[in-house]
Amino acid sequence: MPLDTSTYNLALLRVDGRRWNELRQQKAQMGVQPSADGSAYLEMGNTKIQCIISGPNERDTKSTSSASTAPTSGGQGATVAVSIMIAPFATVDRKRRGRNDKRVQEMQTTIASGLAAAVQGQSYGPRSTIHISLNVLSQDGSLLACLINAASLALVDAGVPMTDYLVACTAGSTSSYAAADEEADPLLDLNTQEEQELPFLTLATMGATDKVVAMVCESRVQLTRLEGMMATAADGCKGVRDFLDGVVRDKGELMVQEGAIGRGEVVSSMDLD
Amino acid sequence: MSSTSQHLLLSPAELAYLHGSLSLITPGPIRPDGRSPTQFRPLTAETGILPGTNGSARICFADGTEAVVGVKAEVEKTPVSPYEFVASTEGRKDHTVTSTPQKKIRKSKKAPAATEGGEDEIAMEVDEDEEAAAAAALDKVRGSPDWVELSVEIPGLRDDDSGTIFLTSMLTEALLADGEFVKKLWINRRFHWKIYLDIILISPPLSYPLPLLSLTTHLALLATRLPRLKSEADEDPMFDDDWAAATFLYPRQDTSSGKAASSKSSKQTSTAAAAPPASRPPITLLVMAVGDNIIFDPSKEELAVADSAVAVSVAEGPSSESEPESESISATTTKRNLHLLSVRTIDPPSRLTPPGVPNSVNASAWGTMTAATAASAAAPASASASEAAAKHPDARVTETEDVVGVWKAPRGGAKFAMLGAMVAKVLERGGVAEEVLDGLEGVDLG
Repeated sequence: MPLDTSTYNLALLRVDGRRWNELRQQKAQMGVQPSADGSAYLEMGNTKIQCIISGPNERDTKSTSSASTAPTSGGQGATVAVSIMIAPFATVDRKRRGRNDKRVQEMQTTIASGLAAAVQGQSYGPRSTIHISLNVLSQDGSLLACLINAASLALVDAGVPMTDYLVACTAGSTSSYAAADEEADPLLDLNTQEEQELPFLTLATMGATDKVVAMVCESRVQLTRLEGMMATAADGCKGVRDFLDGVVRDKGELMVQEGAIGRGEVVSSMDLD
Repeated sequence: MSSTSQHLLLSPAELAYLHGSLSLITPGPIRPDGRSPTQFRPLTAETGILPGTNGSARICFADGTEAVVGVKAEVEKTPVSPYEFVASTEGRKDHTVTSTPQKKIRKSKKAPAATEGGEDEIAMEVDEDEEAAAAAALDKVRGSPDWVELSVEIPGLRDDDSGTIFLTSMLTEALLADGEFVKKLWINRRFHWKIYLDIILISPPLSYPLPLLSLTTHLALLATRLPRLKSEADEDPMFDDDWAAATFLYPRQDTSSGKAASSKSSKQTSTAAAAPPASRPPITLLVMAVGDNIIFDPSKEELAVADSAVAVSVAEGPSSESEPESESISATTTKRNLHLLSVRTIDPPSRLTPPGVPNSVNASAWGTMTAATAASAAAPASASASEAAAKHPDARVTETEDVVGVWKAPRGGAKFAMLGAMVAKVLERGGVAEEVLDGLEGVDLG
């Protein structure tokens, strides 16, 4: 399925009508699962993720068999265990993935180690585990980035202390002829169609800063283009962070309105603007 | 098999109390959450949540358990067997043979009302029947259980966990039991739809998820649409690419008239009954018995004291002969044509609960009792103590016998009479199955 990149050069519009630096439509909800300790639902375009958090609780060796784990605070804090379940109906063609699928395992490891850097686990002690289970209901590009964002939001819902949101975004580069190399535009937040055609990377940063926590690039890119892609992805991360922050603030306001929290010391000390 | 759920941390005394309140007869069972025995937990449901599937549904029970089901359909080539022609001709023979008594039955049914013109009509009908039978035998709608693939995903459990496999096979069994579902997947003699049903439990398995998964599957199948077929006969199938024209796998009657009928006067109910109620996908209900009480949709705590638990699968077929009767009996207009598909007993987790120790065999209680008997042997207050002391030599008896107020894990399976009562309670008119189907009918199918 070749992507007709020539149209991009003409109108500077992508196949779904976005400009190069535009994120897809995002929707998010916190606390979607009342029985879980924390939960979140995130949509970025047609990628739909539901994240359930249980814990922190005592380490359970049995259920972490297929999950990837990473210790926080240099082994002194709680362990983060991530398991991803990609629904067989998530892709256009039905495809069943086993739990030990290598790509899934790799994403689990990336997310676990990335979140372990953001979570301040020393308050829980080294024998406790935070289980993060991610369900992919629909898949349309930027999967790893969406999974990280959803997990971040669910951790906020669970009340796990973090230094900042761990946010992620993808960036690609318009493939162009070798002659027009310098004019290759970076693209933000790719969908499946673009991912299949273009070189891209996933970048996770700590909040709106430029501190890169994780970067995954599985395609061949010319080194000269890498910097532009990373800068674009970092900009995208800022956008995602603002969006997630808005969701959390809305949720907080709603909780105050509903009387779940008093309009007292807790909220005022958080310096809501 | 620890399939039903993980262990509950309830002491024998708590279990005994729960069992006692659930097996009360005079005011009926008192459930921990205050529900009536046939009441279901409230749930929220939505369909059409995933545009990438042919049909999808999500159900959230009030206790927080949540499931998502996605249905995907693919066109698959039906392998042609060399015996096909033989089989079809035999089918034709069978059909002609059976059509003769059918004709007689029709005649006898219509005879009292029929005029001479009516007789002619019957004769015409018979000829048509035979032609139709011949045609039907040639491209008889068939189905194969291979056309459905069902998978269940439960977080924290391995794919080959016995509990998951048991759930999968139970749901598959309900779907394939009457062979009606796979017939809907028939396109023509060379092609059929292959349906993939993927069931995902999102939440951790708090209670035995069978009813949740079954209801979600039911809704997803109700919402499933397949593209409209444009080609004819045995051509390679061509489909209408307009999704708005897609047909539902389970075609339904006009919902607007149905709603009006249920809410308004009886006049309208009779008009709604003119259209026969469409068939519906199966549902599997979890029923448990405590003492002589039958309890529906048990929670995890209730299941921990169940004497027996049964999964009952029920399907609704189109009511076949209701048309001539509908005018005479208005009550039949709203009734559903329910039929039983399967009954499976489920090993309740109550079998694995630790038993309580009666005082008569409790070593620490002996000490106090013997002291008590020695101190005041004649005192009437120590009657129970002396009774226990009398039993003390053959304490083994008390281990096998029931002692009131002391929990003991149930032994043996469900009694036949109880099984019958459970199934009857599911199927009875105005019973639980109808109530659940009515409730699910109210869900808007986007």
